[in-house]
Amino acid sequence: MASASPLKALLEFLRDSTLRVGLPVPLPMEEIYSWALPLRLPRMGSVILYTGALYQLMPYIESLTRYLSALEGSRVSDTLLRLARILIATPKLTRTLLAPEPARVERARRILTNISRLLSSSGVAHAYPYEDDLYSGVLLYDLGLDDAFAEVAGRVYRKLKEHGASTVITVDPHTTNILRNVYPSYVDGFDLEVVNYLEVLSRAAEESRIRLRGLVSEAVIHDPCFYARYLHIIDEPRKILERSGVKVLEPRRSREATYCCGGPVESVAPRLASKIAETRLKELAEKSKNVVVLCPICYTNLSRANKLGLRILDIAEVVEAEVPGSGSPQ
Amino acid sequence: MEPGEAASFILREYSKCMSCGFCEAACPTLPFGPHRGYGPRGRVRLASLAVENGSISAEGVAGIYTCLLCAACMLRCPAGVDIVGVVRLARELLARGAIRAPERIPLRLVG
Amino acid sequence: MSKSRHSRIVEILRERLGRDKVFDNPDVVSLYIREPEGISADEMPDAVAFPESVDDVSIIASTAYKYQIPIYPQGSTTSLSGSAVPFEGGVVISSSRLRKIREVSIVDSYVWAEAGVRIDDLNVELAKYGYMFPVDPASSSVATIGGAVNSGAGGMRGAKYGTMRDWVLGLTITLPDEEGTTMFIGCKTTKCRQGYDLVRLIVGSEGTLALVSDAVLRITTLPENVVVAVAFYDKLSDLMETVIEIKSSRINPYIMEFMDSKAVAAAAGYIKPSIRAEGNMLLVGVDVNYEATERMLSTLRDIMAKRALSTYTAQSFEEAERKRLLDLRRSLFPSQVLNARRNLGKDNVLVIIEDIAVPPSKLVDAVEMIKNVSDDLGFDVVVGGHVGDGNLHPSIGIDPEDPAMTKRAHEWFLEVMKIAVKLGGTVSSEHGIGTLKKEGLRMELEAHGAAKALEIMRSIKRIFDPKGILNPGKVV
Ligand SMILES: Cc1cc2nc3c(=O)[nH]c(=O)nc-3n(C[C@H](O)[C@H](O)[C@H](O)COP(=O)(O)OP(=O)(O)OC[C@H]3O[C@@H](n4cnc5c(N)ncnc54)[C@H](O)[C@@H]3O)c2cc1C
Ligand code: SF4
Ligand code: SF4
Repeated sequence: MASASPLKALLEFLRDSTLRVGLPVPLPMEEIYSWALPLRLPRMGSVILYTGALYQLMPYIESLTRYLSALEGSRVSDTLLRLARILIATPKLTRTLLAPEPARVERARRILTNISRLLSSSGVAHAYPYEDDLYSGVLLYDLGLDDAFAEVAGRVYRKLKEHGASTVITVDPHTTNILRNVYPSYVDGFDLEVVNYLEVLSRAAEESRIRLRGLVSEAVIHDPCFYARYLHIIDEPRKILERSGVKVLEPRRSREATYCCGGPVESVAPRLASKIAETRLKELAEKSKNVVVLCPICYTNLSRANKLGLRILDIAEVVEAEVPGSGSPQ
Repeated sequence: MEPGEAASFILREYSKCMSCGFCEAACPTLPFGPHRGYGPRGRVRLASLAVENGSISAEGVAGIYTCLLCAACMLRCPAGVDIVGVVRLARELLARGAIRAPERIPLRLVG
Repeated sequence: MSKSRHSRIVEILRERLGRDKVFDNPDVVSLYIREPEGISADEMPDAVAFPESVDDVSIIASTAYKYQIPIYPQGSTTSLSGSAVPFEGGVVISSSRLRKIREVSIVDSYVWAEAGVRIDDLNVELAKYGYMFPVDPASSSVATIGGAVNSGAGGMRGAKYGTMRDWVLGLTITLPDEEGTTMFIGCKTTKCRQGYDLVRLIVGSEGTLALVSDAVLRITTLPENVVVAVAFYDKLSDLMETVIEIKSSRINPYIMEFMDSKAVAAAAGYIKPSIRAEGNMLLVGVDVNYEATERMLSTLRDIMAKRALSTYTAQSFEEAERKRLLDLRRSLFPSQVLNARRNLGKDNVLVIIEDIAVPPSKLVDAVEMIKNVSDDLGFDVVVGGHVGDGNLHPSIGIDPEDPAMTKRAHEWFLEVMKIAVKLGGTVSSEHGIGTLKKEGLRMELEAHGAAKALEIMRSIKRIFDPKGILNPGKVV
């Protein structure tokens, strides 16, 4: 079956929104940073927790994709996306229009909160850039919009430096990869050390700086492509889960040979993304009903296609710091 | 990257490709695509054709933009072709207008 | 073909099959004209058709017959003999949408699957039942059932399990005639005496006799365990002595692979092995019941270590993977590519893989002779192969842009085939004849005084394909 993609209109929308608002979907910045307010994280510090907004954006991207996929094939989608560019000037309106499920928005906040707590419990103090926690521009890079990406990368770097960063802690595979492996060739004098929170946490657990607790007894792990093949962050999540007492089951295609969730094409080809996700879910289901994911894009795309009733959880929903004396197992 | 550099990168990587198809075994998009353009062996060839011709058909564009950049293919390639790099740079050339392409892109799925 | 005739045929096919099953877009068509050894069609075919059912295949065949259009069945186009390349214009028929596994029958020991199913995908399914399809060409990750049937493929397990011809029970075939006649030939049982054996005629026919839509294949159990040993020998004759001793000890290995010292060096440079990889390598796997693991491994170790420079063993395939004992063999092909690039000082190289077989007793002579002709022609040859069945894959790297070298490579190809014939072997054990080895086939038949066989083959071709439109120019 053939349908048409509003490719050009989509690219222009993503580019303009990222350049003007700092996010690929125009939203008010408090949507991105409000999760951190209750934690009272400092604004300045040499170690900065940088989320790149991906966790927070995914619920909105998901509803955008729902619109696009309902329209896949009709010419309306082009027109609509062109009109949508008006939205870039009115982020609040976008938020209202996209109206993602509140539970999804809440979930992203909970995950980030837990990540920050896990870092603190490991003895890694960190600051947070709040309204400067901008999107890293991954999509622009992936879609070949290099000039726009270079501009975004430069801006993100400057902002992080303004907050005093010399080390940046990232929380998802895409942002980690783009900062660690791509920014250096787009940003003159790039000098930030980029570490991923799973690396920090697995080291802390190994050195017994933190005691972890798991909220499920076993789960099948879905390695994200970017951790597994671009960053070789493979053993870290396994160590963390095992130290938390979670038995890790391996799907047929795992580690370096992992199979993509389909997420990267969800805006360009939503139906294709779903088919890939369904294929992966079947494979995961052979091992367990609990699926641990490590990336917000994997979570969104697998959840959208989850017709098998699997329980899909982010690793930061499965693992938490054990507070001494709280009477946990062991 | 400069368009000229991107173009020669694509041609060089394609010249390494033996067309053995081993990469296709790992590709998640290929089984749902209508033809080889939705898989790595096809994408590398499409990109090099586009550079040679200065233009690409809508069917070719669909192949280039449906790639997940997941790099599963590269693990299998005996010739070490940078498939992901080729696809991304082809997109860059398309975005810059260095390769001409139709506006509307058909997306076909099978299965 | 003239432009108007071309577009008419594409239109007719589209009308009969549905628009999305026929592509004449040159971007798409050009993805179906090239094989891994650099063999490529100069003239673009008119279209690629993607049948989704046996009926579609029949429609394509009868249409091609009516309008006299050449048609070329294709799987993953990994053939190394030129047999899948559309040289004379017309329509490529891709099996990529015929991908269903129709039935797995454990009690009747067969699997029924469509032509476009890849061998590895088939095995993923069969493994769920504890079964396997044992023919394992090195290309099994992408090689399709239709392609493997038609090229008569073999693999590492050839000595124990034979090749495709030993595992095909029945086929649904379509003929390029007026009706696009479609029929099932063969049986679903292992024993089958259906007059002349048409199934085995189609196996290895390289898409020149009929279009295959699906196949009923025998399956067998996965071994309980496989013990693995790797040893390196200074002299090839020591390696062969070892092979003889293994065979004389009533061991029938699951796999028995060899690489000469040059191939080992190339592969070692590529993967940086964890073991000391110097000399000629022998890799042996023996399938055993769990209980016999220790006993078999120690017997094997004793035999292999006797003449070896170094020996490594593993209790199971999994352990062999962990110890990376299989990596050298696996990287044979990529290391050949790398080796060629280094020797020629450029990226764009062609690796030419020969595919002869000699009686295993003649293996040492064969390798010696191959090295000599390669030296004479100025090629740096590496040799690997399946010792169990005498199948050798000598290979050289060439610069495809150097016409003089290409010509010498052609000579080399012929010389290697001559060696096979001289030693009582065959010019092609698993890759087929295609266009590349037509001369070799004639040479081999003549050497046996069987020139008439070629005539019989040509007559058979005319019966199946009266207009000569099915994969023209190949084999005979
Ligand atoms: C690196 C490398 C290693 C290899 N190693 C081995 C090996 O170890 N052993 C081995 O035997 N081969 C090997 N091969 C050769 C080749 O991969 C196999 O012969 C394989 O079985 C071909 O499958 P395919 O799907 O690619 O077929 P194709 O190449 O597409 O086709 C092969 C032949 O079959 C015909 N054909 C395909 N499908 C049909 C159909 N449905 N109906 C009728 N005719 C059809 C084609 O016309 C052609 O003549 C290797 C190839 C490469 C590149
Ligand atoms: S990177 Fe693109 S071509 Fe390679 S396997 Fe992933 S989707 Fe396929
Ligand atoms: S595996 Fe590498 S060499 Fe083979 S077809 Fe794919 S890109 Fe080309």
